[in-house]
Amino acid sequence: MSSFIIPIGPQHPALKEPEHFTFFVDGEYVTDVKVRIGYMHRGIEKAMEDRTYNQGIYLASRICGICTEAHTTCFVQNVEYAMDLKPPRRAEFIRVILCELNRLQSHMLWIGAGGHEIGFDTLFMYLWRDRERVLDILELITGNRITYAMMAVGGVRRDITSDMIAKIQKAMDIVEERAKYYKKVVLSEQSIMARTIGIGTLTPREALELCSVGPILRASGIKSDVRADDPYAAYDETPFNVITYDGCDVYSRFLVRVDEMFESINIIRYCLDHMPQDPIRIKLVKVAPEGEAVSRVEAPRGELIHYLMGKGDVKPYRYKIRAPTLGILPSLVRMLTSRENYVVKIGDIPAIVGGIDPCFCCTDRAVKFIDVSKGKTWSCSYDELNKYANRRYRKVG
Amino acid sequence: MSSSQEESLVENLKALFKDNVLETKLPMSRRLFVAVSPDVYEDVIKFLVKEKQVTHLSTMTGMDLGEKIEVLSHFFGLGMEITIRVAVPKEKPEIKSIVSIVPGAVFYEREIHDLLGVTFIGHPDLARLVLSEDWPEGEYPLRRDYKVQPPKPLREV
Amino acid sequence: MGVVNKVVNWARARSPWLLHFENGGCNGCAIEILAALMPRYDLERFGAVVKGSPRHADILLVTGAVNRQIRDRLIRIYEQMPEPKFVVAVGTCACSGGIFNGCYNAYQGAASVIPVTAYIMGCPPKPEAIILGAYTLVQKIRGG
Repeated sequence: MSSFIIPIGPQHPALKEPEHFTFFVDGEYVTDVKVRIGYMHRGIEKAMEDRTYNQGIYLASRICGICTEAHTTCFVQNVEYAMDLKPPRRAEFIRVILCELNRLQSHMLWIGAGGHEIGFDTLFMYLWRDRERVLDILELITGNRITYAMMAVGGVRRDITSDMIAKIQKAMDIVEERAKYYKKVVLSEQSIMARTIGIGTLTPREALELCSVGPILRASGIKSDVRADDPYAAYDETPFNVITYDGCDVYSRFLVRVDEMFESINIIRYCLDHMPQDPIRIKLVKVAPEGEAVSRVEAPRGELIHYLMGKGDVKPYRYKIRAPTLGILPSLVRMLTSRENYVVKIGDIPAIVGGIDPCFCCTDRAVKFIDVSKGKTWSCSYDELNKYANRRYRKVG
Repeated sequence: MSSSQEESLVENLKALFKDNVLETKLPMSRRLFVAVSPDVYEDVIKFLVKEKQVTHLSTMTGMDLGEKIEVLSHFFGLGMEITIRVAVPKEKPEIKSIVSIVPGAVFYEREIHDLLGVTFIGHPDLARLVLSEDWPEGEYPLRRDYKVQPPKPLREV
Repeated sequence: MGVVNKVVNWARARSPWLLHFENGGCNGCAIEILAALMPRYDLERFGAVVKGSPRHADILLVTGAVNRQIRDRLIRIYEQMPEPKFVVAVGTCACSGGIFNGCYNAYQGAASVIPVTAYIMGCPPKPEAIILGAYTLVQKIRGG
């Protein structure tokens, strides 16, 4: 097999450090991949041991700027489980509304970014423009666009008043109409289909074996969603469908996320119509749980799990966080490795990596290639890999 | 229905592993914590995964308890969250790796090795995962005796 | 030479080329910078273009808390930018470490690692704040 050398820069390029992904290639085909993470490691779990539970809520919301509500909900739920405390029903409904708004804006962000990965910048611009509507609603309810200080142990801090409800309903109608348009685009646009169908295959058996989570699992046909399997907040009452597709490729992941947008809109509408008239918060004098608890929520990217061990102190003894992307990493390594009847070309890498919805900054890491047959090593930045992939596919047609 | 699921699993485990099941806790519905001795750790996991079809490993937690380090494996299956905990002594923190039974455990064990210093015997690649390359060997941030110090600034602000 | 300087300053201030570099943060500031370039706020109509290479950039936008692993990358990128260069720390984490102050892996602000010209506070700062910060910096560049 003749080797193909990507003509970009010297061995150690002037750009970014080439240690995040190391690909072993034979010509155009990727044979193995080694992953090195840790660029985002800040020492949060240790910091949690040094902060009270109320301070920990704000730290938890800044673990990830895109799924903030998932992390904060998981955190306050964990403390409530350890204290054997049930928040008022209205607070649970408001939590569901916020989590679903968070999921909506995250999916819109990803579909736009996914479009950008495969060179479809128009989709990127359209989606991010429409995403601003969802952010306007979040700003109306909480006061901020990205990180919200809404959760508290024992309930939520702000109420959704009746004058907000009309605005939220109107925004949902507009977003639903736009979502229908995007579904039509994804189902009919040849450029998306050519770059994503058959790419990044993960069979159902592999997905289960490698403990995959979230839309990756659902795009391989496995019906698994924390909101349905292990209901929390008001999800035991809210009707919704668990979206699955059988394609097992990046295209199915697109479709799963687009359909989940419709489900989120319906859940929000249901919650607004059926919200009980309760107080929104139980005020606690002291938050000092004794015991341990495990809390799981369905973040936009998949299952999020937190573990807490408290010893009756105002600070936790141990707080463990596992974000969904770490759960998907073994599956990503499998998807990026060529085997007998499944080949991965270098040009497919951006689509596959983008398809798992990694945290945003991760799309800017560097990649390193090792050509096993020629014994050559070279590196390039992710942007360059993207441009290379787009050029290759444009030539193919 | 759900508490009998948890209780029947506990009975099953106790019947098979007898005194090696050290403690079971059920703080709320769908959350079961089972403490086992290190000798049967691998067999308990094999039983859960192969016999009971509990294949989904959510994560693995490491916790410093002073004289011992505890490794908790959080599984989800049979409609509940099952946590299997096993304690190893701090002077010799070693335990069998479960990657051969649950391939998805590969990064979780690496993380515990990186941050707490537990060695997983049989793990294919226990390289660093989250700490930087220039992090000193033998310093484990998540141990209770580790003194947190923010890195020194490289220039005057 | 004074005239050439004035022209270069004028050109540079009219159309600054940006490079965005994300350190170990939560991505909130990165999303807000992108939102500032999207159709609603559209920083690009002022001539600000986001470039992929540090060799083409005038202004480096740094977001997120700098951690040990990424510190050398940040320094290398800063050194590869041609003079004159400006660094803008966007977001509280890049300004002072933010909520990660005291963590074992986070430096207290990008200024501990590279010289910073301007600070835009916020967690995350709204796109309007980022545009105001960019405008203030451009006025400063114009001033000489």
